[in-house]
Amino acid sequence: MSVSRLLERLLQTLPVLLGVSLIVFLMITLTPGDPVEIMLADSRATPEQAAQLRADLGLDRPLPERFLVFLGNALTGDFGISFFHRRPVWDVIAERLPATIELTLAAILLAIAVAIPLGVIAAVKRDTWIDRTLTAVSLFGVSLPGFWFGILLILLFAVQLGIFPVGGRTSFDLEVTRVTGFLVLDSIIAGRADALLAALRHLALPAITLGLPTAALLARVVRSSMAEVLTSDYVLFAEAKGLSHRRVLLRHALKNALIPVVTVAAIETGSLLGGNMIVETVFGWPGLGRLVVESIFARNYPLVQAAVLLYAVTYVMLNFTADLLYTALNPKVRL
Amino acid sequence: MPTRRSVLLSSIGVLAAPGLAFAQPRAREVRVGMAQDALTLDPANHRNRETETIIRNMMDGVLTRDADMRIVPEIAESFRQVDAKTWEFRVRQGIRFHSGDALTAADIKFTFDRLVKDGAMGGQTSPRKGLLGPLEDTVMADDRTVRMVLSDPWPILPAMLPFQEVVNRRQVERVGQEGMQTRPDGCGPFKLAEWRRGEAVIMERFAEYYGGSTEIPVAGPAQIDRAIFRVMPENSARIAALLAGEVDIISELPASAMRQVEASRNAQVMKVNGTRTFFVSLNNAKAPFNDVRVRRALNHALDKAAIISRILAGTATPLRGVMSPDAFAFNPDIPEYAHDLARARALLAEAGVAQGTEMVIDTTAALKEIAEAIAALLSRTGLRVRAQIWEGAVLGPMWQNAERRRERDMFLTSWGNGALDPSDIMVPVLRTGGRGNSAGFSNAEVDRLLDAAETEADQGRRADMYKRAQAIVTEQAPWIFLWLPQDIYGVARRVQNWRPQADSRINLHRVRLA
Repeated sequence: MSVSRLLERLLQTLPVLLGVSLIVFLMITLTPGDPVEIMLADSRATPEQAAQLRADLGLDRPLPERFLVFLGNALTGDFGISFFHRRPVWDVIAERLPATIELTLAAILLAIAVAIPLGVIAAVKRDTWIDRTLTAVSLFGVSLPGFWFGILLILLFAVQLGIFPVGGRTSFDLEVTRVTGFLVLDSIIAGRADALLAALRHLALPAITLGLPTAALLARVVRSSMAEVLTSDYVLFAEAKGLSHRRVLLRHALKNALIPVVTVAAIETGSLLGGNMIVETVFGWPGLGRLVVESIFARNYPLVQAAVLLYAVTYVMLNFTADLLYTALNPKVRL
Repeated sequence: MPTRRSVLLSSIGVLAAPGLAFAQPRAREVRVGMAQDALTLDPANHRNRETETIIRNMMDGVLTRDADMRIVPEIAESFRQVDAKTWEFRVRQGIRFHSGDALTAADIKFTFDRLVKDGAMGGQTSPRKGLLGPLEDTVMADDRTVRMVLSDPWPILPAMLPFQEVVNRRQVERVGQEGMQTRPDGCGPFKLAEWRRGEAVIMERFAEYYGGSTEIPVAGPAQIDRAIFRVMPENSARIAALLAGEVDIISELPASAMRQVEASRNAQVMKVNGTRTFFVSLNNAKAPFNDVRVRRALNHALDKAAIISRILAGTATPLRGVMSPDAFAFNPDIPEYAHDLARARALLAEAGVAQGTEMVIDTTAALKEIAEAIAALLSRTGLRVRAQIWEGAVLGPMWQNAERRRERDMFLTSWGNGALDPSDIMVPVLRTGGRGNSAGFSNAEVDRLLDAAETEADQGRRADMYKRAQAIVTEQAPWIFLWLPQDIYGVARRVQNWRPQADSRINLHRVRLA
């Protein structure tokens, strides 16, 4: 793949991001509900104080001007001041982002680790009771509401068995120097086994809640992709050469069967990053999802705009990476 | 050599093994499960109840309230009203901030100037200014005495002072307005150890604490080593954490979970009358609600007791009027609109309201179940009442605006009265043009009484005026009067010397562990 082709693909993402910014801006500003009225609810503010606050927040200016100001500032990485925290939006987001990324990565790794073996087994044993059971279980997994499943896990593992904590990111008596913001990584950097263990234990239940539906989805993709590959000529040929079944499966079939899985996993990572509000709320996980939901209800425009733009950039970039991986895994595919 | 399987099994074992530690009681540490994190740790820069609850454990006020809602001196040694527009406070000696600086009268002046003077917070005006009404200036009479000077008489100043915490003037100079968001320096029983944003505020015992109000028993430094306010937005997770022994106090326990908590070995339910009056605002400007007979009919039609027992699990006190029975100047002699369907139908017929007339109750998702029950019970009169659910950000502002609510019928809502004083609720919601007067109620006599009471220094006369105003309001029935919900807490049995307060504060100043 040439560099110019790569650049062209990158440039194609710009209109997407611009479109997303505009839609988000219009949706949130045109939704009924005034941040100034919400901020001053139940207070004894005079109309003059309300007008002053509106001017301070830049909400007295016309919509197109506000959008252009937002875009211009966004290009320089300035997303304005969060109405409610009264601090720069980016600072507020940056504080919460590592927790969300850490949870998402744990969930997706868990999903992949569960999905590949299950998918392969189902494909190899297709149309047997094993396959049918796994398919039924994965259908159940895809349909699981995260909210309900999370509470069930808490009741069983935290309340009844006392194995895992109910929520939070780590124990309160542990303090690890913040380097990356990823607790697992920071614990390793600090060489603290106790902190690492605490971080993993806190990560377990939310990661399972978030990862299992994705695991179910991926297992179904692995199964169908693997089933198709297993009937192809080159697999038959490899077996005819007398290679062991295990070797054919893992070295020849699996590598090709994983190509569609890569795409789905990349897209799912994007969805998990942006769609984990519920799991973060259930487990009191101090991530970005929860912050965005709270901000939507409070009509905290700058934070919502910045966060959605961030989600969009991540999503587009993950898709782009998936395409690149795709060409690497299968040279027949071109960008 | 370890096999892959054995490595996997042992790593699961390592993760799970010390698990029981979570359920074991923690030494001298109390954890509170909160639905929200603090927005800031600067006591002058927010309008948020949870933020105030958290800050209050690190910073004391000039005055405070005990669990019975009595107003008592805290940093002040004593206080008195000098004249209608001046109050005097004598400051206790020997109080130190967490940084070691001594607290003086100058810190109190600085705190209140920062709250009420325009632009006093680095150009910004404190969002809490409105809570101090006509407070104009705070002057130092001498090293130990401050005087608060009002632009108009305001008898509820002492009732509003427990909402404010005193900051260290030198700390604000050291860290700036920005720094105050995260580096508070109070003189409360706990000092900040760490704020894990979105997760927890961790506090440590302040050994040199002066002891707090002398009028609340066991004055002295805190009796626990650490206090942790932990953020757990989800109700079920908070309950689970209480049952698992991970937190000791949770607020906003749903009535439906009371039995589950009571049944557990290590926790119990505690209840207290809240300060929030619930009512259905009737659009007094619109027919047929402009006819007092219709408003009375709706009050007679509603079987409040049924809703309180079936939906609220008995955790609410029915109201005949606007005020909480715990509040100053509550009028206990107001007659009740007894549940009487026949009377309701007769009044509606008298007012010419046809059977089958449609009416809509507006409310938010949180009150959906109650709104639907009210609609169903009112429909027994032959009216066709239904509930419509809105988002709070849209509904509140719509009903505060006479023009925008013109076509609406009813609004199921509530108003908090943290000061437990009629001035804090009747003036905003029942005075003509009040900022929370969603019913559009307007009565010249009520307005006159409320205005006169605002400037009356004699508390006895003031109480009489409010009692008279309450009687008129109930007679005029601008609302369907509902109830005062109790605040429900789940509390670990090992927590002692703590009980919930009507103002929803969770003060850990005197808490002990069994």
